[in-house]
Formats: sequence, structure tokens, C-alpha cells
Amino acid sequence: MRPRAVVAAFKQQAIHFISDPQWIIPSILSPLLFTAVMLMLYRDLTGPVVLQAVLGGGVLGMWANTLFSSSYSISFDRYNGTLEPLLLSPSEITDIVAGRALWNALIGLSNALLVFLVSELVFHTEVSLLDPVMFFLTLVLTLVSLAVIGILLSTAFVLSRMGSVVASMAEYPIYVLSGALVPITILPSGLQYISYALPPTWGVDAVKLAAVEGYQSMMGADMLVDIAMVILLTVLYFLIARFLLKRIERRILETGSSTVY
Amino acid sequence: MEDEHANAYAITADGLTRSFGRGPGEKTAVDGITFRVRRGQIFGILGPNGAGKTTTVKMLSTLLLPTSGRATVLGVDLSDHKAGRMLRSRINTVSGGERGLYYRLSGRQNLQFFADLYGIPKRDQKTLIDGLLDMVGLSDAADMKVENYSRGMKQRIHIARALVNSPEVLFLDEPTVGLDPEISRQIRALVRRLADGGTTVVLTTHYMYEAEELCEETIIISRGRIVGSGTVGDIKGIVSESTVVRVVTDADPLPAAESVRTYPGVRRVSVQSVGGRFDVRIDTDGEDGASMRHIEDRFREYGIRSIGYDEPTLEDAYLRLVEGEP
Repeated sequence: MRPRAVVAAFKQQAIHFISDPQWIIPSILSPLLFTAVMLMLYRDLTGPVVLQAVLGGGVLGMWANTLFSSSYSISFDRYNGTLEPLLLSPSEITDIVAGRALWNALIGLSNALLVFLVSELVFHTEVSLLDPVMFFLTLVLTLVSLAVIGILLSTAFVLSRMGSVVASMAEYPIYVLSGALVPITILPSGLQYISYALPPTWGVDAVKLAAVEGYQSMMGADMLVDIAMVILLTVLYFLIARFLLKRIERRILETGSSTVY
Repeated sequence: MEDEHANAYAITADGLTRSFGRGPGEKTAVDGITFRVRRGQIFGILGPNGAGKTTTVKMLSTLLLPTSGRATVLGVDLSDHKAGRMLRSRINTVSGGERGLYYRLSGRQNLQFFADLYGIPKRDQKTLIDGLLDMVGLSDAADMKVENYSRGMKQRIHIARALVNSPEVLFLDEPTVGLDPEISRQIRALVRRLADGGTTVVLTTHYMYEAEELCEETIIISRGRIVGSGTVGDIKGIVSESTVVRVVTDADPLPAAESVRTYPGVRRVSVQSVGGRFDVRIDTDGEDGASMRHIEDRFREYGIRSIGYDEPTLEDAYLRLVEGEP
């Protein structure tokens, strides 16, 4: 990997983001609406349940933002005619997608923090965090794990013109399977195994452990297990994404589909 | 032997072939072409739309794997995918058209982005990018978003983008298509300067005047195959025995043109209306006094303004080769 290329892609994505107002919808309005809906659903409850609702809203916002911006990353270049110059450069496509995903992750993090702020100021939820430092760290880890799933899904966009359908299909399952919306213990046991294979599931569990007093963690895991699992699965998903992106590059060179969209 | 080739030639292609699709629908875009490009020269690949020019450039610039055959660029065998990747820092391409830039970035930001992808040190980037913007005449518009650029400006920033890594071989795929004459002239001058500086330039075009002005050697491709090759002079030589008769008339001479088309030795007749007059162009097999007299007699009733011989051009040779005439 070339760190310079990752930073360049991060900057390029930032400029695109700032100059394109449409990103206000997934990045700001969407998470706020999620949180508002959840707080209205839980309006008669207080304490940890409300905090879980706010956390859920934050994670939903982070995922929506990451999913639609990172997974669309390469297909944007193919549509824009910039995939050929990118392929022609000595940098890896993974560098470029990763740099963009990092920017999207940063925006996702600011979404989550915005959700907390609005919950406090608008809905007066009086959220208090058990361990603010660990909360912030685990939130960042969760975000990176979501970003890596976004990179993985970007391969679907390249392989198929129906990539946007795949991304849309992936939106709600992650909300449910990661435990952001409801505890995964209430899911059917078969689905719980899928949840355990997703890195953000462990991240969300760690976030809740750090934030909510008395939270019963998934499978009785403690904070260290959650963090180890989220890191392990994130690295694994990244390696799979990198392998797939290299295969895809090879396929593009074989089929001559760099400008076909 | 390989080193000798690498030193003498920037590019070698031997039986290079590329097909798309499989089975009955398979289409061969490039069909076993063989040619050599010397270092530092401007080499033209001419041909009509769909002839296989862009496919050839994509193969040579590592963007498309050949189906069969062998090609080397700067001594690197392109069938070796990993070696091909290493080559990318030494070559670059420019395609005609408006796509291929980040519109929400300024011209300068586009160049900085690609300079980073090529690993150009930060300390060198300002001088490099300022120099490139100056070279393509975009210094004043450097910080304007590309979405506000005219087509000519976009094409010039494309060229600047392709020069960020100071490529040893530059592929220009129809770089002046759709541009006005003034911008096209500037781009041709730029290409000439690059070649004078030692860059090997491979230029695809279907503008004959462009090839005639720039290219030291050319190949002409039609339906994926080379139908002519050599210097512009060599290719013109194909039609050196031919004669072009030009007649300008006051009245529409279409009936006369139709009858002249059947004369022995006449290859092609075209009539163009220019400023209320009619410009007739008759391509013949050779200078033939009898034919000339016949032509003059036939067109007299339409009011001949002028009549005379023209030298055959590269376009005449190109058309003959592409249309497969003997």
C-alpha cells in the first residue's frame, strides 16, 4: 500500500463531499431522523434504554453514510471516466478506496456525535456515558469495521451493474444483525451466527459496554474480547476486500470493461 | 537481443491480437498486428472509427490484456501482468473527450491528486504542477473547478495530468477530437515539443493533416489489421501514380460527375457545394491528357471557373488503403 495515495484519496473525497450538498441527506438528515424515530418510540422510557436508542441511531447513521459512499467508490470512477487513469497509476485501487472510506468514516463519526448532541439538546435525553474514553475508542473501531464492509461491498458495484441493489439490500440487514437496532439475542439462532461473523456486531457490543451501566454483553464477552474480535474481523474483511479488488482489477484488464458502466 | 530491442525501440508489437466475447458473437478488434516504434519518435496509428486504434493503445498502456501475440513497452513484456504494473510509472495516456477528470476538483487539485498517486515528492509537486499548467496554458484557470472548464481546457488539463509522471512513452488517443482549430493547433505544437524533449509519442487519429504534420512513421489500421505502414511519404507513395483533377463550376454538375465516374481510370468522383459554386474532385489512376480533355468537355456546359491537377494527399492514400482498393 502507498500511504500517500491513501491520503490523496482521502483529500479528494473530502473535496467532493464538501462541494456536493446532496451528501447532507445520508450524512446529517438520515441519522437525525433515525434517532428522532427511535426516541419517539422509546419516549416513555428512561435510563439505559434511551441511551441504547441514541446509540442505535448513531450506528445507523454511520452505516448508511459508509455504505452508500464507500461502496459506490469505484463505480463512480468508472462512470466518471477516471477509472482508467487510476488503473494506469502505480497505486493500488485498494489505496484509493481505503482513503475514501476513511473520509466517509470520519463523516460517519461526526454523524454519531451529532446524534448525541441533538439527543441532548433537542430531545433532552440526559445521556450519561459510563466510560467516555472507551466509548469514543470503541465507536471509532466500530466505524472502521463498517468502513471495511463498505470497501467489500464496493466490489459488488464493479462486478455487477446491479451493485446499487446489493448495497440497498445490505442496508437494513446490518442494522438488525449488528445489534444496533435491537439486541441480537432476540434474533433467531441461525441469524445470530451471521451476526457474530460481522465485525460491527462486536464493535456495537463494545460501545454499549462502554456506555451503558449494567449492559449485559453479547455471549458474556468482556470489553477486551469485543475489541479483539472487532479488530480481528476488520483485518480479515480488509484482506478479503483487497484480494477481491486485485482480482477485479485483473478482470477489468481481461474484459476491457474499465469504461463500461 | 532483448536489451538491444529495448534500447532501439520504445514499443514492439508482434502478432498482437485482442478479441471480445466468446463463441459466435466473438469480435476481433485487433487482429495480429506487428509494428515497431523507435524511441523519441511520434508514431501515428491511423484508421476509421472502430478500426482498433483505441484497443491497440489500451493494450500497449497495460489497460487491456492481449488475447494473443506479444508486445513490449520500454523493454517490458506486457504479457507479464506484474511487470506491466511496474511499467505504469513510466508511461501515461490521454484520451479524447470530456470524461476522465474530477469535475468538483480544480485543475490544480486534479494534478496534485494524480501526482500523489504517482508518488511525486511533495517538495517537487509545486514546481512540477505550475510548470505543467503553464505548458498547457491554464495557469490563470488553475484554481477554477474543472466543471467550469471549456472542452478545450479539459483536454489541456488531460494532457497536463498525463505528464505528471514525466512519461517516457505517452499515448494520445484522438487528443484533438471535437476541438476547435486553434486549440487543436496548440495541442499539436505541444505534442511536437514533447517529442523534441525525448518523449516517445503514440498518436491515434483519423485527421490526416494531424498525422501529416506530426508523425514520423505511421500504421493504418482497418478492421483490426494493418493495411499500410511507413513514413507519411511512403504511404503517399501508394497513390503517387494517381492524379487528382479539380474542376470548379458555376452550375450543379451532378449529371456530368455521374458520367465521368464511368470513365476508364477514374476511381472516385465527389462534388461539394462551396459558396454557391461546385467543387468537383476526380481521382484517376494517372495523368492522362485524353481523360483531362474528356473531363473538360463534359463539364463545359456547367460553366467552368477553373480546372487543374492536384497532388494526391495522405488522405487519398488512407482512403485507398482503408477501402481496400488495389
